[in-house]
Amino acid sequence: MSSINTPAVVMDNGTGFTKLGFAGNDSPSWVFPTAIATRNSNSSSTTNTSSILNKSSDLSSINSPYTSSDTSFLNRNKISNNSIHGNREMSDLDFYIGDLAIDASKGPSYSLNYPIKHGQIENWDQMERFWENSIFKYLKCQPEDHYFLLTEPPLNPPENRENTAEIMFESFNCAGLYIAVQAVLALAASWTSSKVIDRSLTGTVIDSGDGVTHVIPVAEGYVIGSAIKNIPIAGRDITSFIQTLLRERGELDSSLKTAEEIKQKFCYVCPDIVKEFRKFDNDSEMFAKYIVETVSHRKVEIDIGYERFLAPEIFFNPEIASSDFLTPLPIIVDQVIQASPIDVRKNLYKNIVLSGGSTMFKDFGRRLQRDLKTIVNERVEASERLSGSKSSGVQVQVISHKRQRNAVWFGGSLMAQTSEFRSYCHTKRDYDEYGPNIVRNFSLFSVP
Amino acid sequence: MLQLEPQNLLIEETFASALSPNYEFPSLDRILTDFDFTTYRISTPEDKGKILLSIGIKCWSDLAKYGSLELLKEKYGHYSFIQILSEGSCEPGYDVSLYIDINNCTLNNIEKAELVCQLSLLKRNCFAAPFLKAFKRYEVLSRENPADPNNIYGEDSVAATNNNEEVLKLDYRGEESIFIKPSNDRVTVIFSTVFNDETDKIFSKIFLQEFSDARKRSIQKAPQVINSHKDVPLEIQHIEKPTGEKTYITFVLFPRHLNTEDAKWNTITHIQMFRSYFHYHIKIVKCYLHQRMRYRVQSFTKILNRAKREVDEAELRSERKTASGRRFEVR
Amino acid sequence: MSQSLKPYLTAVRHSLNSSLCLQDFSSQLVERHNYPEIENKRSPEILLNPLHISRNASERVLIEPSINSVRVSIKIKQSDEIEEILVDKFTRFLTKRAENFLILRRVPVEGYDISFLLTNYHQELMMKQKLVDFIIEFMEDVDKEISEMKLFLNARARFVAESYLNMFD
Repeated sequence: MSSINTPAVVMDNGTGFTKLGFAGNDSPSWVFPTAIATRNSNSSSTTNTSSILNKSSDLSSINSPYTSSDTSFLNRNKISNNSIHGNREMSDLDFYIGDLAIDASKGPSYSLNYPIKHGQIENWDQMERFWENSIFKYLKCQPEDHYFLLTEPPLNPPENRENTAEIMFESFNCAGLYIAVQAVLALAASWTSSKVIDRSLTGTVIDSGDGVTHVIPVAEGYVIGSAIKNIPIAGRDITSFIQTLLRERGELDSSLKTAEEIKQKFCYVCPDIVKEFRKFDNDSEMFAKYIVETVSHRKVEIDIGYERFLAPEIFFNPEIASSDFLTPLPIIVDQVIQASPIDVRKNLYKNIVLSGGSTMFKDFGRRLQRDLKTIVNERVEASERLSGSKSSGVQVQVISHKRQRNAVWFGGSLMAQTSEFRSYCHTKRDYDEYGPNIVRNFSLFSVP
Repeated sequence: MLQLEPQNLLIEETFASALSPNYEFPSLDRILTDFDFTTYRISTPEDKGKILLSIGIKCWSDLAKYGSLELLKEKYGHYSFIQILSEGSCEPGYDVSLYIDINNCTLNNIEKAELVCQLSLLKRNCFAAPFLKAFKRYEVLSRENPADPNNIYGEDSVAATNNNEEVLKLDYRGEESIFIKPSNDRVTVIFSTVFNDETDKIFSKIFLQEFSDARKRSIQKAPQVINSHKDVPLEIQHIEKPTGEKTYITFVLFPRHLNTEDAKWNTITHIQMFRSYFHYHIKIVKCYLHQRMRYRVQSFTKILNRAKREVDEAELRSERKTASGRRFEVR
Repeated sequence: MSQSLKPYLTAVRHSLNSSLCLQDFSSQLVERHNYPEIENKRSPEILLNPLHISRNASERVLIEPSINSVRVSIKIKQSDEIEEILVDKFTRFLTKRAENFLILRRVPVEGYDISFLLTNYHQELMMKQKLVDFIIEFMEDVDKEISEMKLFLNARARFVAESYLNMFD
């Protein structure tokens, strides 16, 4: 294989978003929804497709036509692309992924699918095509020239790994493959933080994406499967909570997009809600204004009030938003660590790592650390009282870092750029020799 | 997706946003790739308003020999805010760098779009030079020795005079090469390619057969395609040793592909994508076959499940009773 | 269905019907073991005569009956290297998913493309007639699938070639 100097490809396919990029970069080159729009078999109209195709080439905000001789073939591409519509034999080429898929599905002739459900790949046909387009259109690489690092959720069945390997090696002939557990990569990503002194692969990962929040204990690179807990509160719930607040107050605009932007720009975690309410009431400076441009290009101004600190608060006091899930995040984290083997618990408390977009709120880590410390100290005091002996204490530390949003991808990028990475991968030759079951085992990264 | 796009989407996106009026000037440093061992690096080493776009191509030494650098200067040199750095002065590890000073860009929107388009086609522009050189040579030759107008496709006019013509060779993927040979009535482009996978090798035969047949059947305007497994084509026998492993695909470009500026660029754009296109479609076919096989597995399992005896739970429960009439618990 | 296929499949069906007379049978050699006798072939008295049914030089079925298990191996038609590779791909894909099929053997008997192993347990779980139906249907469908894949491959190759060459216009 002549793939000596090419950077490894890192692909993190999550339930909501896919992150694509090359090892060595500090952020993914592409982040788009893990969505694929496939053509409905019954519809025959091709009216909307041309508009989408136009959009695809005009990524720029500059909407002027190309002027050189290059126009001719760019246009021709679009036309010949259309010839695959209606041709049944070629229907497997007729699809879009990512943001284009969402645009395409607004028309009548495409339907939108999410091939990954709850972190696991459900529809392999669609996933195979999703990868195909990711590699050839967005990353622009020949898979036989590159090593690949893919991610998987904790507790992924080994059959899924085999299926993944089957696709990557048999369809794409990729040079080498490594499949890493997301939580472990998130731990590796935290090594960039200055608070981390020893680069160990032991810690608790709090991964909060769009759909669900996981609390995953990892010991020496292995996930402690029995102790994992899920919380049905994540980014989407925060957004809809903000939306409800806006609606109740009768703001002029309460669309999902507005709520989303308010969440990203204005929300923070407060140390104490009661005090924060008082602070807001005494100081009108705390209220923010947000200007939205509506569809009809009218500018609407909305007030942003208590939702600034109330929205992220649902992690710590879930009862304000939900009626069926009532356990606060710090208690869940404590339970998870208590359910893990006793000899790693100290290290799990010491290294709690945040990952995913919904952990990006200001002071999220600080609040979590404080609350968790309170719980732990109470327990320590109780045991000191009962046993009469002095405890050495338990250190609780929550680590926030700059790469939190795409922590999993970033961890993958860090891992894949090390010089040893290739020796951990299974190569195409190994696969041909031993068959798909070689991917059931990957040796763990040693700590560099 | 039927056609691969010649432009690099990420470069296009980066510069489209960099040249748009409300650009926020983040600091950039990323590596990206393109087909055939091409690597780009976009970075802002000194100032956030100055973007350094470097490209590294495996066969750059060949390309440079055939005048790629001059072509790049022609393409990008007339922009006053773009500096072309090569050899000693470009970024280490790469072959050419374009240093683009976004702040001093004074273009209007249409010119900006044109620039973004040209930047995203950087790889194609690098690969274009040897083709252009061959096309120029063809023009000279055809003037010296005009082709016989009655022999439109030139099926059997491998003129003896053309045999000493220099063959341009690009080792664009190490083992695999592109050969370009001009002559008085045509330009011959030969790809040599290697398949490491047995399946691919067999699939490629079917594809290549169709490439050769397509022109005979319907597409008269296309270049003629000749493929040979193992045997080295006549044109390059003096520079290529037979290995028995490589497949050779010959494209014969006729005057109609070379006569206008547009036609030339169109030909170059597509022909340099040939290998990627060809390998891409072999992979897609395998994906589709997987899809079919998955469907088959499902339908077979369905048939097999039909064979299973239906165990009627209620019947079982009513059958098994103790003497007192109590039922066993069915687990 | 072509003329020669029908008698071939009928012959397979009848032979399977008669050989699928299985009963529970504990191992005579190892105490408290019970395994498919056809797989270890160590006690000749409980093995029956194996049976070949050939349609032509490239298509044949081998049925190996025993007291508690029957092994059915199928050689699928392969007339050229494309069909060979397709059959290989397809059977590999199936055997990788053998756990879904219960009766599929993970490794085919030598000289054949795919093998099924039917034991008395399978016969208890499933209806005999339907099992035979499955194998017959499988044989029909595999041939159909392989030729469809081949057709598809050619159609796709043509389409891809034409659309590439069309761009040179």
